Amino acid sequence: MAPPEEAGGGDQFPVGMKVLVVDDDQTCLAVLKRMLVQCRYDATTCSQATRALAMLRENRGAFDVIISDVHMPDMNGFRLLELVGLEMDLPVIMMSADSRTDLVMKGIKHGACDYLIKPVRMEELKNIWQHVVRKKFGGSKEHEHSGSLDDTDRNRLTNNDNEYASSANDGAEDSWKSQKKKRDKEEDDSELESGDPSNNSKKPRVVWSVELHQQFVNAVNHLGIDKAVPKKILELMNVPGLTRENVASHLQKFRLYLKRIAQHHAGMANPYSVPASSAQVASLGGLDFQALAASGQIPPQALAALQDELLGRPTNSLVLPGRDQSSLRLAAVKGNKPHGEQIAFGQPIYKVQNNSYAALPQNSSAVGRMPSFSAWPNNKLGMSDSMSALGHVNNSQNSNMVLHELQQQPDTMLSGTLHTLDVKPSGIVMPSQSLNTFPASEGLSPNQNSLIIPSQSSGFLTGIPPSMKPELVLPTSQSSNSLLGGIDLINQASTSQPFISSHGGNLPGLMNRNSNVMPSQGISSFQTGNTPYLVNQNSMGMGSKPPGVLKTESTDSLNQNYAYANHMDSGLLSSQSKNAQFGFLQSPNDITGGWSSLQNMDGYRNTVGPSQPVSSSSSFQSSNAALGKLPDQGRGKNLGFVGKGTCIPNRFAVDEIESPTNSLSHSIGSSGDIPDMFGFSGQM
Amino acid sequence: MMDLSEPTMDYSNLRRQITFMKKSFFDQGYLDEQFNQLEELQDESSPNFVEEVVALFLKDSPRLLSNIEQTIGKYPQDFYRLDSLVHQLKGSGSSIGAVRMKNECSVFKAHCNDRNLEGCRRSLQKMKREHATLKQKLESYFQLLRQVGPREHAVNSRK
Repeated sequence: MAPPEEAGGGDQFPVGMKVLVVDDDQTCLAVLKRMLVQCRYDATTCSQATRALAMLRENRGAFDVIISDVHMPDMNGFRLLELVGLEMDLPVIMMSADSRTDLVMKGIKHGACDYLIKPVRMEELKNIWQHVVRKKFGGSKEHEHSGSLDDTDRNRLTNNDNEYASSANDGAEDSWKSQKKKRDKEEDDSELESGDPSNNSKKPRVVWSVELHQQFVNAVNHLGIDKAVPKKILELMNVPGLTRENVASHLQKFRLYLKRIAQHHAGMANPYSVPASSAQVASLGGLDFQALAASGQIPPQALAALQDELLGRPTNSLVLPGRDQSSLRLAAVKGNKPHGEQIAFGQPIYKVQNNSYAALPQNSSAVGRMPSFSAWPNNKLGMSDSMSALGHVNNSQNSNMVLHELQQQPDTMLSGTLHTLDVKPSGIVMPSQSLNTFPASEGLSPNQNSLIIPSQSSGFLTGIPPSMKPELVLPTSQSSNSLLGGIDLINQASTSQPFISSHGGNLPGLMNRNSNVMPSQGISSFQTGNTPYLVNQNSMGMGSKPPGVLKTESTDSLNQNYAYANHMDSGLLSSQSKNAQFGFLQSPNDITGGWSSLQNMDGYRNTVGPSQPVSSSSSFQSSNAALGKLPDQGRGKNLGFVGKGTCIPNRFAVDEIESPTNSLSHSIGSSGDIPDMFGFSGQM
Repeated sequence: MMDLSEPTMDYSNLRRQITFMKKSFFDQGYLDEQFNQLEELQDESSPNFVEEVVALFLKDSPRLLSNIEQTIGKYPQDFYRLDSLVHQLKGSGSSIGAVRMKNECSVFKAHCNDRNLEGCRRSLQKMKREHATLKQKLESYFQLLRQVGPREHAVNSRK
């Protein structure tokens, strides 16, 4: 029987589809296995999540779909879901005896393709092949239609909604309805009605090798986050046979990935004291992530929070005080390495959530890799850094997991995500669905740029001179809001939440975001000036004002992103001479202060929470906006600064950020020491 | 060979008993549709599937029940863990169609949620009784099935 992938629509499909079932209950495993065999699938059972993960890592292609129980002793099912989604981009179906809507919602948000209530019926299992197909073709379909990421993101969102809708899950009825509403809404927004993921002709899967990814990242860096649209990236890459859809899909994943990482880090909820290793950030194309990373003061918590936000984790999203969660995340993730190690630039700074989910563990690793878009391939390189960084971050278990994960598979992260990229429209590693589902981060899903990379943070970048922009490879997570506030920030409409928004006025979205960077004061100003997005998104760690307090909501996300960014920045900044656009906490200390509480970080790692202690460093935050300037894909992609400094290439001199709105920038500038991650300070 | 009529008659009787027994399980609410699904999954390639699965359940569930009992006895009470254990039992039971147990698990979980220790204790006792009853019924059921099983084959092959 032809393997499902190859068959894809062939006569044999879905016969022989490889399913991995993970459940600690032997009885359920036995029943499920029998049912799956009856459906003519190729079923493998595993009673331990950790073992399942190891199996998957060893051989990603071994399975087409995973079915996992939510409740397991060794690992939370949601966590497994995230990891698998990030690393392998495989469809994951959750199941549980618990049919509570909120749990189902949680599953969906984490990226589950479906959520089955035990006892699972044969009819439900018979349909699971649809998820595999959907994932495969969903991306291409989206890309075909839309020329921009926005569209793609929207499509993805729509697709995801469709997926949700398809599950005949009793318990999920309510959630389905809400998803449906979301989908409808998305449909309105999206020009594409990507209800049928398989509209597009089946495209051969593109394997995003390290080299290819490097090319991709380079292209993105070159274009600049905010300008990194698939078409241009494709042109720059100049790879025969590569389609715009492939690129768009990959870009989305990339963003998600960053976001996730940021989230993860943020979720690690580590005391902010652990600045994300900006070193990672440095890996970003021209971005002086190092600097960012250094400043990655973003406390892991912030990052985690960011991630959480990005992921739309409703619970525990720590509202980082005005910090740019994303940045925080990055910072946090990075393990607070002063140098842009920070992971992922694109790490969405999600509100650091205490959730274990926070920070997809994988993400963090991913993030580490991601630091610069270009860095994906570098991830391995960068990852190691980030990994270490992450290590610091191990604030929470999540972080540990993340780090662990990272370490385990730096490669996988990359490769995993990369590979999966082709399939998933959902940007970075993160299962698109998860992103999409984030209510708050609507933007996210489409953007998928969970990458905190301030793609969204176009705001940040706004200040960055065009030349600089390219570096920014910040993943413009449409939903970049999530960056700010975690997933939400990224997705949230914060579109282009400029993390760096150093220019206050420059990037529509970015600038404002950065405001987060500034301790409340700067931030606000920041935001107001620029664009809707910015509005306080960046309440970067600014102490008092967590402008955006990481709200996961779209707009707020902006602030949030910044918050992180700021946070991170400080770390980054300090380390780098570049002024961390992010306005990240100029001094790691700041971050720590603020981070601890997982302040609401803006996408930019500025902890946008109210309690952003990072006031001083906040200056960074504002700049973060600049960093994060990600092309506003329409959604508030606040990718924010994924990593400190990484977000914005040095190009984005901090100076830029000093736009009026960027009160943050002020701080940044004033900080003087703000490492010019993006090389703004005079680099341009 | 031998007395065909006898085995056949016995077989019919047995079949009748089995059918009646099964029906009573459903009528009395011990089992639900899931059990039927399991039986449908049984075929030549997996002839004893239902019995095997039920055996798995009956093997695992006592352990869970004892864990629950232990947890209830602990002080300070760990309702979270209790809920988690009961949840497992619920999932397990629902997989074989043990609806009474499943329902009692839901009640138990509600008690956990309310941090109602007394309620939990009562639920545990109920569950233990349900479990014992179910175990006894199912074991009789399968015993009967085993008796007709081979015969069934023989009979069928005859025809």
